[in-house]
Amino acid sequence: MGKKRRAKEWKWTLIALIPTVIIILPVYFIAIGGFQTVAEIFHRPAYWFPPHSTLEFYNDAWVTLLPYLKNSLIMALGNLALTLVVAVPAAFALAKFRLKLGKPTFFILAFTQILPATAVIIPLSLMFTKLKLINNYFSVILGIAVFTIPFATIIIRAYIQGIPTGLIEAALIDGASLFRVFRSIIVPLSSPAIATAGILTLIMAWGDFIVSLTFLKDQTVQPMSIGLYHFVAQYGVEWNKLMAGSMIFAVPPLIVALLAGKSIVTGLTAGAFKE
Amino acid sequence: MKTSSYKLYFFLIPALVYQLIFGIYPLIYNFILSLKDVNLITYMGGTSQWIGLSNYVQTLKDTVFQRAFFNTLVFTGLSLSFQFIIGFLLALLFNRSFPLKGLLQSLIMVPWVLPIIVSGSFFRWFFSDRGMVNGFLLSRGLIDKPIPWITSQILPIFSVTMANIWLGIPFSFVLLYTGLRAIPLELFESADIDGANWGQKVLFIAVPLLKPVIITTLTLGCILTVKVFDLVWIITKGGPGEVSHLLSTLSYSLAFDKFQFGKASSVLVIMLLLTIGLTIFLNLIRAKEESSIG
Repeated sequence: MGKKRRAKEWKWTLIALIPTVIIILPVYFIAIGGFQTVAEIFHRPAYWFPPHSTLEFYNDAWVTLLPYLKNSLIMALGNLALTLVVAVPAAFALAKFRLKLGKPTFFILAFTQILPATAVIIPLSLMFTKLKLINNYFSVILGIAVFTIPFATIIIRAYIQGIPTGLIEAALIDGASLFRVFRSIIVPLSSPAIATAGILTLIMAWGDFIVSLTFLKDQTVQPMSIGLYHFVAQYGVEWNKLMAGSMIFAVPPLIVALLAGKSIVTGLTAGAFKE
Repeated sequence: MKTSSYKLYFFLIPALVYQLIFGIYPLIYNFILSLKDVNLITYMGGTSQWIGLSNYVQTLKDTVFQRAFFNTLVFTGLSLSFQFIIGFLLALLFNRSFPLKGLLQSLIMVPWVLPIIVSGSFFRWFFSDRGMVNGFLLSRGLIDKPIPWITSQILPIFSVTMANIWLGIPFSFVLLYTGLRAIPLELFESADIDGANWGQKVLFIAVPLLKPVIITTLTLGCILTVKVFDLVWIITKGGPGEVSHLLSTLSYSLAFDKFQFGKASSVLVIMLLLTIGLTIFLNLIRAKEESSIG
């Protein structure tokens, strides 16, 4: 590649950098907000660099949020397990077989995926109140899975459709059971799609707001998102602590986005163009 | 593959049953509630009465509902248009190879991966009376007193719309970018040779070939935007004085601030009908487009 061509390509990098920086600017201001006093955050105009950096507020926020961390982890991992256990087998059946219930199932998955969260969560909360499931991790895991199961199934199904059917037929003719085919052929071969669906499911459950807000009224079981919401909702918000806490909470998904940006892109498109 | 093995249903049934119990049944239950006078007392005591369509009549007459309905249309229309334009321009910009492209692309996904409580509280500060926008405008002498972005009667719905546009950029970018990648670069190159300018290439090559992708992006974007809840709840909670409610936040506030479950359910049913109606309408357009192509 010639030097001239190289230089021309870097020009495009610089041009593309401008909108990219504008888009991620909020994250930058949240990050530096955590290093400033409230007065400095409200300085006119906003500081581009914290004038007197201190780790005090990050430390405060960490101490306040730590009790919520365990709950966020339980919810996100519990939801991941439930979602994959239900979605992967369904994706297999939907991708490779013509079943009587195949079409209706696919329709219901596609339909529930687009439902407004409020339309499901408000009636569910009344049902869960009667079942005494409120303030229980299960309620949140069950509620989030209504949206993550269809999402994951559709992504994984699209991928399994690309696995040669002959491979499955040959194994079945050799006398392997369906479960054996599933375990030894489908799961290993579709692991990239399972990983993508898993990553997206984790991001969705980690960031959940409405389900936790509705089902978890007891502070001891609430996740970090609701912990942060308590910061916002209180009178006289401590913005620096809130921004420091926001940053701490945002770090895991941000790292995932940087490491697995490509998977996110493939996953989102596979979910959208489902035909 | 065709097989009659009943064992296959072990794979399918859990997903089907799960979605029926936790996705579809709540909708039916919700519809039933919308026909009854359910509030906290009648619900816990199990003494709610059938009242026919009275919840719907009350809801439709309610000026707060009318405002929320109007807000939902404004919010969806503006979000969709701007997200689409910005996403499309970004997709065109990224449709070539240059160093560090992968990294920049991942960074554009940031609004999507950021937990909503984080972006929501950022925008609450950003638009607040003493927040960043006003700070910038005041210090430049462009205004004398703060603009009430999220504290006045008219502006809040537009402010939350701006926040939502930012939130939706990754989605339209990803779909349109993937679509663009499928168009052979040679097409653009031969247009270059013929002396076509940038605008002509976009209008006469990209847009026609992308039509199915564009329709999908708009369809899904529309469905996703009509149901937004979290962002508005975190930034304004529908306020001040219920002027910035969407249908979603209004139903939530009716249910959990006022405990008028019956009325909340009627708002949800109306919102659901809006979603389903839009989906059918947009799918019809999509089907028509596809049949005209193939």
